[in-house]
Order: sequence, then C-alpha cells, then structure tokens
Amino acid sequence: MIKTEDLTKIYNGKFTAVDKLNIEIEEGEIYGLLGPNGAGKTTTINMLVTRIAPTSGSAIVDGYDIVKNSLKVRKIIGVVPQDLTTDEDLSGYENLMMVSQFYDVPKRDAIEQIEKLLKLVNLEDSAGKLVKQYSGGMRKRLELIAGLVHDPKILFLDEPTLGLDVTTRSQMWKYVRDIQERLDVTIILTSHYLEEVDALANRISIIDHGKVLVTGTSEELKAKLKGDIIQMTFKTQEEAEKMKNYPNLVASKDSGPNSVRLTVQDSDVELPKVISYISNNGLSVTRMTVQKPSLDDVFLEYTGKEIRAEDAGDFKQTMFNMRRLRR
Amino acid sequence: MSGLGPLTSREFKKWYRNPISLVTGLIQPFFWIALFGSAFAGLADLGGGGASSIIQGAPNYITFILGGVLTITGLFTAMFTGVNLIFDRRLGTLGRFLIAPIRRSSIVFSKIFSAIARILIQVVILIVAALILPDGLRFAHGFTLFDVGVLVSAVIMISFVFASIFNLIAIRITQPNSLFGILNLINLPLLFTSYAMFPPDLMAGWLRTAAKYNPVSWAAESIRMVVINGSLTGSQMSQLGIWMLGLFVLAVVLVLLTYFISERGIRE
Repeated sequence: MIKTEDLTKIYNGKFTAVDKLNIEIEEGEIYGLLGPNGAGKTTTINMLVTRIAPTSGSAIVDGYDIVKNSLKVRKIIGVVPQDLTTDEDLSGYENLMMVSQFYDVPKRDAIEQIEKLLKLVNLEDSAGKLVKQYSGGMRKRLELIAGLVHDPKILFLDEPTLGLDVTTRSQMWKYVRDIQERLDVTIILTSHYLEEVDALANRISIIDHGKVLVTGTSEELKAKLKGDIIQMTFKTQEEAEKMKNYPNLVASKDSGPNSVRLTVQDSDVELPKVISYISNNGLSVTRMTVQKPSLDDVFLEYTGKEIRAEDAGDFKQTMFNMRRLRR
Repeated sequence: MSGLGPLTSREFKKWYRNPISLVTGLIQPFFWIALFGSAFAGLADLGGGGASSIIQGAPNYITFILGGVLTITGLFTAMFTGVNLIFDRRLGTLGRFLIAPIRRSSIVFSKIFSAIARILIQVVILIVAALILPDGLRFAHGFTLFDVGVLVSAVIMISFVFASIFNLIAIRITQPNSLFGILNLINLPLLFTSYAMFPPDLMAGWLRTAAKYNPVSWAAESIRMVVINGSLTGSQMSQLGIWMLGLFVLAVVLVLLTYFISERGIRE
C-alpha cells in the first residue's frame, strides 16, 4: 500500500529530520510509527501526505508517487493532523460538508457518508452545534471523521490523542478500531504514547533520528528482548543464592535482602519448572512476581532513552493543544 | 477541485453569523458619509462664489465626497481580509485546507471574493444613505448605466488591489499584529496623499503631485467624474480612461501575483 525508498528530509540543508527511511505498509493494517519527540514521525507523515516535499528518496502511496502524482495521492488518503483543523464558527456538519466538497464528493454520497461517520463516533446529536461549543473529546472525534468524508483508502493519524485525558483516549482507541474494521481502511498512526501504539497497531516501527530502528508486531518486538523477569523473595539469603543455580537462566541478579531477580526466556514455560525447582529444593518463597517486558522496555533497548521523558518543546506543544481543546 | 466555492461560502457563513462584524460593517458606511459630510461641509463655501469650482462642480460636499468614501470603504475592508488568513493559520483550519486536493490560491481568493461581495453591499448602503441625508447626494445630471459601471468597477478594482497586497503579506507572516502594524502605518498616509477626501486645489503642490500617482485618487476621481458630470467631454473621457486603465493594470498584476505566489505555497 505504501512503500518508501530512502525517504529523506533535510531542513535548511542542515537538520536531517528523516534519514533514508524505508518502510512498507500492507493493505488493511494499522501501522504504528513510534518514536520520541523530534524522531521524524510527523515529518515522515507530512511527506507521505504531500504536505512537504522530500529532499531525496521516494515514496509510493497506492501506486502513486508522492511527488509526481501528489494530487492523486491527496485524493485517496485521509489525514487527521496533530493540530485541530475544524472551523469553530461552523457546525460539525458544515465542517464535514465543506471538507467533502474539497474532494468533489457528490452531494448525495456526502450526506450519506457524513451521517454514517457521525454515528460511528456518536456525534449525530451534536452535528448541528457550532464546533466552539464542543468539548475537547468531541472536537477530536470530529477531527477523526473529517479525514474520512471522502472514503479514503488510507488514513493517517498523527498523534490522535495528544492532550486528551485517559478516559477520552481509550474512547478514541475504540473509535479508531471501529473505523478500521467497518470502513476497510489502512491506518498509519504516529504516537509517542506506547500504550496507544501497543493497543492499536498490528505492526510497529520504532524510529529515532529519522531512522527505523526496528519493525515488528508488539509481541515480536518484546520477544526480541532477552526475556521475562521473575522476581522472588525468600526467607533467607541462602535460599536466594540457591535459586540462582536454576538451570534455564538468561541472567540472575540480587535485588535487595533475600531477593533475587531472574531473567528467563519465556516465563509462561519456565514458571511451572521454577515452582517444581523450589519445592524439590525445599525453598520457602514469601513473594513472587512475574514481569513481561513492556513496549517501554523495547523502546529503552533500541533508543537508549525513556519515552516518557518529554522535552520542554513538546511540553509547550502539548499545552498549546490542550488549551485549544479546552476553549 | 478548486475549493473556491466551499471556501467562499464558509467566509460568508462566518461573516453573517458574527453579529458584531455584520452590524459594524453595515453601519460603518452611514458613519462615513454622515460624519465626513458634516465635518467638511464648510469646504463647499470656501472661496466665496467659486465654491463649486473647488469641489469640481458638485452641487454639495456629500456629492463630491461620495467617490472618496466609496473608495475608502473598499480599501479598508479589502485590507482587513489578510487578517483572516493569518487567523486560519493560527487556529489550525489552514492545515485542513493545505492537505486537501484543492488549489492553494482558492484559499486566498475565497477571502478576496467574499470581501468584494461585502464591499458591494456596503456600496449600496452607502449610496442609499447619501441619498436620504438632508442636503445629500444629488445626481444633478442623471445617473446612467455607464456611470454605475464606472462606479462599481472602480470600487472592485481598488478592492482587488489592496486585498491582494494584504493577502500577499498574510501568505508569509504569522502574527496578526504585524499585519495591523502595516495597516496602520499606511492607511492614513495613503488616504491623505490622495484626492479621496480633498479636492486637489486645496493641496500643497508636492502633495498634489504625490496624490496624482496614488491609485486611491484614480478610483475616487473616476467615480466623482461620473457622479458629478452628465455626459463627459472628450478630455474628461480620456482622463477617465487613463485612471480606469491604471487601476485595471494594477489590479490584474496584483491578482496574478497573488495567484502565482499562493500556488507556490502558503506558509503553514
């Protein structure tokens, strides 16, 4: 559906935002681009939606070159940009109708499609209200369907839940899933929220400094880490030392008094064996936890930084978006 | 494909739904004509018996000033259209337009066309207001279709000129205050170095020369010529032709410039 070849964007001849990016996106999937702020996610999206031109390299979107056939590309894609783009002085319905006119959707089809979309995100009762009377969550939902009025084949979602609270965010996820299922559209999603990408995307690419570091399903990425962690506390230090002799360990480490932290390949398989090892050796465990690696750990492994550490610039952007949402 | 239709209709919805901008826009012409008419009415009595020669043969000052006020109304409303583009950028709506398969120039021209439609409404109100004022507008020699044509096209052309200039500025800048600054800097000088408010005979020599090359004067004087006079003499006709041609060339150049520059890209 989408294929990029050494896609590159250099700003002002100095700053390389996207560096020879190669990604391939299949039809019908939800594809997540995960990366810290400034990783090049939005720049990549902006090139794919023909908002900016690449410095070098190329990309094909459903058979059309993003530079040579940019108008064709625009017609078959839907975009939900990071910022709010609906007009506050018009009603939700008028906004959607205006956008569908941009795409030359015949009036009758437009009415039908808009009604369907409004129902999908539960905005049918508020469609006649001016957008300035919408709550933040409603506005985001309207943004979401504004990208879909022309029934695009591909939908780009750039940080769809930035600045939303947790409840509204999980609501948005449900809507995104519904859209993918019911409208048969390929979705490309960028986010710096791990949970979001984890919850929505079939496949994930982690990018940083404009390069893809790794691609795979959430499970595949997690499996690439060394394994799961079993944390145990015993009655005595001696017992804890004995546990380190367990045969199938990837690594083991002391973790506090009478405690040990074991890394095993797959805790689902190892746990029964660990338990029989404990009873065979007459050890008495007082506490035991199993921890599967999260996408956080994957991210840390590949980028060397915590994704949550937001820089000041992003904080400002987030506040800006939130302010807009609240008004 | 162009996007001009939906975008222009959006501008109209925004205009008539904003009661303040709607009402002020409609009342403003009344103020213009009533206040200017009263403030400068004494001009007509200057110079004793030769009064109407100073105001170029008009029966009264309001009849003289009509061309100026029409021009200024067009000018100011046109100048302010640039601001809407900056607000679209700041409020994010421009982002939606820029990713749609529409012509970039349609974003700018939707603002210019809707401004011109608003200006024409103001023009009608203004003429009605001038007619009903005591000692108001009088078409001493009638008002023909030709006169209407000259009046309307002069207003439209001067509006195109200044709407284009200020939208060209707005394509690049992001601060509404910068645009207001430029606007404040040039509006009064533009006005007072023109024949819009005062007859040339009352001006200092240098000012009169400057005003001669100001397109604001061309529009004001063209309208004045057809409002005050009946059938024009040959020399009046050729003078009118020069002014109108000047306005036409200027408007065409600026509209083309606006088209090509906005097609090349509007700053996000």
